[in-house]
Amino acid sequence: MAPKSDLLQGTLDLLILRTLSGEPMHGWGISQRIQQLSKDVLQVNQGSLYPALHRLEQQGLIAAEWGSSENNRQAKFYQLTRDGRRQLAEETKTWERLSTAVARVLAGL
Amino acid sequence: MFRHLSVRLSSLFKRARLERELDTELRYHLDMLIEQNLAKGMPPDAARREAQRVFGTMDAVKDDVRDSWLSRFVEVAAQDIRYGVRSLRRNPGFALVIIVTMALGIGANTAIFSVVNGVLLRPLPYQDGDKLVVLHHGQSDPVANDFGFSPKEMDDYRQAQSLSGVVEFHNMFFNLLGRAEPERLSTGVVSANYFDVLGVTPLHGRTFVAADDAPGAPAVLVLGYKYWERSFGGDRSVVGQTFRMNDRPHTVIGVMPPVPQYPLEVDIYMPSSACPFRSSPSLIANRRGRMLTAFARVRPEVTLAKAQADLDLVAARLQTDYKGFYPDSGFKAAGIPLKTELTRNFTTTLWVLLGTAGFVLLIVCASIANLLLARMVRREREISVRAALGATRGRLLRQLLTESLVLALCGGVLGLVLSALSLRLLVNFAGRFTSRANEISIDLTVLFFTLGVSVLTGLIFGSIPAFARRIDVAPALREGGRSSHSSQRVRSVLIVAQVSASFMLLIAAGLTLRSLLNVQRIDPGIKTENLISYGAYMSFDKFPLTLPPAERRAKIAGYWTEYERRLGSIPGVIAVAGGGTFPLNEIDPFPQGLVRDGRPLPPGVQPPQINVRFATPDYFRTLGQSIAAGRSFAASDTLTSTGVAIVNQSAARLFWPNEDPIGTRIAGGGPGQFRTIVGVVADVRQQLDRAPAAEVYVPVAQTANLNTTWVIQSKLPIEDAVRNIKAVSQTHDRDLPVENFRTLAEVRSEGLAPRRVVVALIGMFGFLALVITAAGIAGVIAFSVNQRTQEFGIRMALGAPRAGVLTMVLREGLQLVTIGLGIGLAGALALTRVLGSVIFEAPPASAGPTPPPLTLLVDTVPTDVFTYIGVVAALLLVAVLACLMPARRAASVDPMVALRAQ
Repeated sequence: MAPKSDLLQGTLDLLILRTLSGEPMHGWGISQRIQQLSKDVLQVNQGSLYPALHRLEQQGLIAAEWGSSENNRQAKFYQLTRDGRRQLAEETKTWERLSTAVARVLAGL
Repeated sequence: MFRHLSVRLSSLFKRARLERELDTELRYHLDMLIEQNLAKGMPPDAARREAQRVFGTMDAVKDDVRDSWLSRFVEVAAQDIRYGVRSLRRNPGFALVIIVTMALGIGANTAIFSVVNGVLLRPLPYQDGDKLVVLHHGQSDPVANDFGFSPKEMDDYRQAQSLSGVVEFHNMFFNLLGRAEPERLSTGVVSANYFDVLGVTPLHGRTFVAADDAPGAPAVLVLGYKYWERSFGGDRSVVGQTFRMNDRPHTVIGVMPPVPQYPLEVDIYMPSSACPFRSSPSLIANRRGRMLTAFARVRPEVTLAKAQADLDLVAARLQTDYKGFYPDSGFKAAGIPLKTELTRNFTTTLWVLLGTAGFVLLIVCASIANLLLARMVRREREISVRAALGATRGRLLRQLLTESLVLALCGGVLGLVLSALSLRLLVNFAGRFTSRANEISIDLTVLFFTLGVSVLTGLIFGSIPAFARRIDVAPALREGGRSSHSSQRVRSVLIVAQVSASFMLLIAAGLTLRSLLNVQRIDPGIKTENLISYGAYMSFDKFPLTLPPAERRAKIAGYWTEYERRLGSIPGVIAVAGGGTFPLNEIDPFPQGLVRDGRPLPPGVQPPQINVRFATPDYFRTLGQSIAAGRSFAASDTLTSTGVAIVNQSAARLFWPNEDPIGTRIAGGGPGQFRTIVGVVADVRQQLDRAPAAEVYVPVAQTANLNTTWVIQSKLPIEDAVRNIKAVSQTHDRDLPVENFRTLAEVRSEGLAPRRVVVALIGMFGFLALVITAAGIAGVIAFSVNQRTQEFGIRMALGAPRAGVLTMVLREGLQLVTIGLGIGLAGALALTRVLGSVIFEAPPASAGPTPPPLTLLVDTVPTDVFTYIGVVAALLLVAVLACLMPARRAASVDPMVALRAQ
């Protein structure tokens, strides 16, 4: 069994929100997109992905709708809510500040 | 927002669908994995296997998802509750003790809080009740030294711009005639717009309009709801009916809705033009004719502070415009919110009661925490097993807190029942202090309070043991459930807290009890045995106002003199005393200014106040009030002879220091009329818990009082005497209502009723605290003895005498109790110092119709040595008894058995 969480939870939430900022997607699509964009560095395990999606839905940051997928099957599509968009902007800012800070420290040594 | 909520709630109610959807969602993901593998060129079988390997167990993923659903929280809670209830049912005695203890604590607090809520917190049930104020004006402290208002002054205060309506009220008793029996009715005499300013609309008919209040307008009445129900059976056709009252017909025009009445409950209302006293031209013209209470409504946009500033302006203008009518300095006016005014005399008592109830709850909390802690130790093994099987620390804490909450809520519900049962008693009690008492009920606020307090106490007593004990798996499993030292220390601290809180409560109970005993012992200065008192109220139109005043006065005086003679001729009657108010009664007569002949007051100085009372010649002898100097009244003191008066010793000391008042003259009756003082009478307490005030007595035969009170001493059994008195009264005048027959002993005892309720409540709280604490001490010591059985065995095997073990255990218990006593002593002294004057000085009684406040401590210092010694002794005795049982068990340990048991 794969380890439950490859990423820090907050980071996973941020990645999901960022991925959904374009168009509605289903869980499979999200995991593929993250993997693809990170050039296979980040692999999202379904054991963390689905709990995260449901948690974000309960928090009202994303909303779900059933629709048909590209291969014409029923799939659950997630999209950002207004709260989610706000949260994404905030977390992006935090992340950037943090990574810049880490980079500075690393460069300084 | 709504959508968000519906997402959360859907997990609760659409559970099956949610599960189905989750399954579809995950299966889709799995299928896509397989497809991806197929696309890489794997054979179908391998593709499926590989996908499933990557995906992991479907159920594990599902379970993780479910954790984020709200339903999961509820599920776990339901599981915890089921588990908790099961484990409590295994030990019903334990659960019952906790629930009952809890119920007592919650019940006490809910009951007192329902009173606080009903009279202090709830807004007045009138429209914008917060904008209603009561006006006062007087010297330096306008509330305490209120002059009252004259009709002219009402008009002056109507000039205050921030007030949208200024209305008057005064209370009179009139006889309503024309029905089967004469009815003596408490009447509110009010301005025409009284109901409009208060914001009350009639239930039937109409309320007063300006035309009703015009001089000479036909007299009209509005009935109070309770009187209408009681006397007319709620018949709405009463509107339009006419009754005889005073000297003319009165037409009922409306009925009030069932709203509380302020400042006091009356039977009927009449406009000021219908009141024969209020409408008399001489009163209207007299700036000093101050008999009214003034209410006002502050304009909606205006603050109280602005209204107060306006009142200050009016008061200042009165002072400059009417020299001599007001004190030159220190004359002030004040607007007090009606809500504050109605409960001013009750607030202190109520907060003290709520405080003591709070103490009970603290003791209850500590005691239950202790019980739970003891149970935790016994459950150690169960908890360890659950922890070993994978329950997290958070999960276990949650389980423990859920159990506590279940217990707390059961206790809360039972407590609510207890408080509901005691509500009637409390309403009666509160009714002696405030007219808002009828608004006391268990409403939503009270329910929320009870729920809140129950949950909070549940959390407190639940978390103390949960956090006091570390949940460690290994040692507990290894040692087979041995108590650790840390939990024993927590238990000791809880016991110390209980003892000190109980000590303070018992001190409060002891002090109030001692105060009650002191008041009961107080000699009022009059006899109260074998004396019957009652009131007789002459109808206003018995001698019409159309008679020349002198003739009418003579007729009234003659009427009472004849009545007195008839009472005296009843066989078996020994003495007859007539007066204007009951001795030992609830309300002081209105004080009047004292003017002494030959001592004119400097201009602008108000005369000192003196209480005026009335007496027949036999009054002082009948009541046993001794004449200190001079003479009593005589039958020869009549309207045609010189006006006479008798002062009491307080008045003599205060106004005639170092001289003899007898022979001097004081003003009375009217301008230019003087009364000669003929005697000095001993002081009496008109109220048991108040020091005597300065008084002057005037002969009934020299006044024109319509309302009289009588005190009869007779050899007859009380029922016979009352029957005879009623018969004689009927013969004398069939329109003379006689009411309120009570023996003076009863009057005296009734006056103490509120004090007794306070003592009973605080005493009950103290007793509860004592019992709970004793049980707590016994429990802790018993537990400690249990833990040390082996040690005792070894000690005795090595030769320790049984008595030594007994003292050892006793010493352990008493050590805790002594520390608790020390802290409690410091606490009690600090608390009485902080509360200070609040408890042993009643706030100034407000003038007007509100009942006087209760001085909690009378003739009792808050550091009363007897009370402290008594409470310490009682607590020590109870503690020794509580320790004795487990100590004896410790001493009777059989060394062999104890050692072998390990």
